[in-house]
Amino acid sequence: MILRKTISRTIKEKKFQYAGVTLLLVLAVMLYVSLSMAITTLEERNDTFTREYKQEAFHWMSSDPLPDEELQALEEQFEVTLERRAYQDISTDENSSLRLFEPTTEVNLPFISQGEMPENEGEIAIAETFADRNGFNIGDVVSMGGLEAKITGYVFLPDYIYMIEQQTDLLADASIFGVGVTTSETLAALSGNEQQQILGWTNSNEVPEGLRSAVNTISTLLQFISSEDNARIQFVESEIEGAQSLITTLPLFILGLSIAMVLMLMKRRLELQRKEIGTLMALGYRKRELRRHYLGYAWIVGLIGTMTGLVLGAGLSLPLSDLYATYFNLPALSMFDFDPVVLVVGFVIPLVLLLSLTMLVVNRTLKTEPLTLLKPKEMSSGKKSWLEKLPWLNKGSFIRRFRLRLLVRSKARSFYIFLGVMFSTVLLLFGLITFNSMDRLVETTYEDIQKYEYAVHYSSIQTEDRDDDSPYTMAEVTINEEKVSLYGIEPDTDDLHLMSEGERLNDQLTEGVVISRPLAAIQKVGAGDELTLTNSFNDKKWTVQVAGVADVFIGSNVYVPRTEANDFLGYPESAYTSVWQDDKPASMENVFMVEDKQKVMASFESTSGATRNSVLGMSVFAVLIGVIVLTLLTNLIVEENSPSISLFKVMGYHEKEVSKLVLNVYTPIVVVSYFISIPFASLGIEQTMNTLVQQTGFIFPTDVTWWMVLIGFLVIMMTYGISLSLSKRKLKKVSLQEALKKQQD
Amino acid sequence: MTIVVERVNKVYQSGEVDIHALREASLNVPDNKIVTILGPSGSGKSTLLNVIGGIDRFDGGSVRVAGQSLENLKDGQLTEFRRTYAGFIFQQYNLIPTLTVEENVEVGKELSQNPLDMKDTLEKVGMWDKKDKFPYQLSGGEQQRVAIARALIKNPTFLLCDEPTGALDEETGKNILRLLKYVNETYGTTVLIITHNQGIGDMAHKVIRMSSGEIVEEYENENPIEPEKVTWA
Repeated sequence: MILRKTISRTIKEKKFQYAGVTLLLVLAVMLYVSLSMAITTLEERNDTFTREYKQEAFHWMSSDPLPDEELQALEEQFEVTLERRAYQDISTDENSSLRLFEPTTEVNLPFISQGEMPENEGEIAIAETFADRNGFNIGDVVSMGGLEAKITGYVFLPDYIYMIEQQTDLLADASIFGVGVTTSETLAALSGNEQQQILGWTNSNEVPEGLRSAVNTISTLLQFISSEDNARIQFVESEIEGAQSLITTLPLFILGLSIAMVLMLMKRRLELQRKEIGTLMALGYRKRELRRHYLGYAWIVGLIGTMTGLVLGAGLSLPLSDLYATYFNLPALSMFDFDPVVLVVGFVIPLVLLLSLTMLVVNRTLKTEPLTLLKPKEMSSGKKSWLEKLPWLNKGSFIRRFRLRLLVRSKARSFYIFLGVMFSTVLLLFGLITFNSMDRLVETTYEDIQKYEYAVHYSSIQTEDRDDDSPYTMAEVTINEEKVSLYGIEPDTDDLHLMSEGERLNDQLTEGVVISRPLAAIQKVGAGDELTLTNSFNDKKWTVQVAGVADVFIGSNVYVPRTEANDFLGYPESAYTSVWQDDKPASMENVFMVEDKQKVMASFESTSGATRNSVLGMSVFAVLIGVIVLTLLTNLIVEENSPSISLFKVMGYHEKEVSKLVLNVYTPIVVVSYFISIPFASLGIEQTMNTLVQQTGFIFPTDVTWWMVLIGFLVIMMTYGISLSLSKRKLKKVSLQEALKKQQD
Repeated sequence: MTIVVERVNKVYQSGEVDIHALREASLNVPDNKIVTILGPSGSGKSTLLNVIGGIDRFDGGSVRVAGQSLENLKDGQLTEFRRTYAGFIFQQYNLIPTLTVEENVEVGKELSQNPLDMKDTLEKVGMWDKKDKFPYQLSGGEQQRVAIARALIKNPTFLLCDEPTGALDEETGKNILRLLKYVNETYGTTVLIITHNQGIGDMAHKVIRMSSGEIVEEYENENPIEPEKVTWA
């Protein structure tokens, strides 16, 4: 059909408008495809590694090692596979440490990605990211823990996919902590404190009922963690789950904006070509032929947008997968997991939506009689909407009245400008809040609350008096079947200040318990509510009242006086399992684990660069979307108002004045939309955090500060300014003859 | 007789007022002739042309064109009718601005089972040399020539011309009239011209005069004059 030629020529003529909507579509599809494919690859790698390398269903550590015959009896009784695994933490330099395990054959099988498994004494295989960050290579001989060790290969362990030193750690930092495997002989020769854990594997990946208490009757459990509660295993699952909502929400919103823009362009095109359509109908063109012709615009935008988005998205998924691979210690068991559903959804859904909605718009025009289309459109300026009849719209200077009327008459444009600004604001503030929350989390947790330097956990219950340090009891209990850490502390301790908005809650421990923010969010409780704690080992119950919620953002914790905790747990009154202290423990005897606060803070510091980059990335993305949407809209506004603009020019108005009359009209919408969006952004991120808290076990503080509001405002106004200056060029190009031409038409 | 109009009425509603655009209008258009419908603005001449061309409905009476009764045709059938038999020429040309002269004419050619030759048609209207020009590069008269070529290439049974010279100066207007006469004589196409220019009636084989929706006068012109002799009003 010869009419097809008009499509390419019109698109060429209005290249900026069509390129803008196509770019929005590309961004939507690219974002969806890249994130989906990267997540699919991550999921596939995780599933394969978990399944084929027999990831544990649980592991435990007890105060006394269980003899082999006891383990065998438990295996038979509970139909599980149990395997003993020894490990030691050794320092590789002042700041970093390596957890060396002996290789296993039944559970948590090590995967060697490069090199070989260590076979001889003095040989080790280490995590590739740890080697990379610390400058180690295969074949290097390194001195660590009093041992000259030769690196024989790179290893991945199924129970250290998220490579954190302590279960309570939030961030993995391969530069300060890594894992490795070595021979049993080498491990025995090391000078450190050897620990033993029992790894369990079951077909169902569930912990058999009664196993936990059965083990506890043989030897006191120091730790029993199921894979469901294991942050090193679970974090990747949470990331996959969290990403799912991002994968759909963000691209869907951009897709919505893009389709709205296409429809607006189509409406404009049909409006401009009313007479042409009427002529073609009068000549005898069938409606379906004209429909096919006008759908051509949507086909071109849709096909170019989706195809480019698919290709770019698939390409981008590779570096994204690699990024995930370094973030999570997962071997590249697959490189590119092709999910046909993602491609089909990424291609079909945008195209179907775009075409079907465009068809509705086209059909509306095609329903009109050819004669009506051939006649000039009836002047609608005489009709006033209820908004225009408002008295304040008809007061003031001509410029004011003209601007307000334009604003009121282009409700759809105003609405889309509102939406575009809202989208950019929410995205921008998400970035700023995340950025700030990391700083606030570190400041609150490690400076305001935790006043100690080290938390030392013993492998058996202690009763010896500690004058200088703060002893405390820590145990796992359940509330409504959710696992919770019970902290029995000295209320007057100087090492833990349970702060809430600047107030210290330690004194309130006499009135009830203090809980952490994640626990409050999971259980949906606050001060004054009651909680019932259950001792996991004997099902003893304890109902307590919540005296306050402290600004502890990590972990589901309940803080009670130590004597009360000991009483509930059945420990002696003066017992404790751990100690907070300012100095590194001199001896590791009887020590099961040491938490070093400075190390955790350092890992936060080292990841702040990545956070800054992602915030910057989000800001650029927000600005890009904002510029595209706002420029498209202001461009259309200039196009629609070109006869008025021309007339103003003819009458002698300066370009600045014309711009003020027509373009800057939307400034109040931009400002209002920005300020309305702030609570939405804050609420949105808070909701996201609350949704994920059960899986992640932490909550980020989501306060919006004055500097965020200011920065956000400046960025949004800059975005608006860029759009205006781009559209002013178009305004300048409106010729003086335009007014006359339109009058003739 | 290709076009027979019998007692046709057409009422428009404008707010609460009924406007009788056509009142009991009856008319016979002889085959292969030029017929001019004269009348002032609002006399109903455009409505009559639109009814005959199948782009407007009527409220009573009958219209038979090329053997088809238009009153019973559905939208799709009317489209097929226009596609097969009618050629429209408008006062404002209504060319597609993003298509060249040749492409604009091709828009009409695509609709026909039995189209005329492109080069021949464009040569006949004197636009072959400018076939690659876009509408904005042409004068008003040239644009109307292209519009005539677009209507003509379909090889229609009749041409319906709504004020074809209304936007043109005398010289250009007469050139267009000459072209219409040439088309009538060369292809045997029935040409209906509506105009408020009384002088154009002198070149037609039949003249119809309208006023307030009624046909007030109808006569055969035994000696149609040459277009160049038309008195321009």
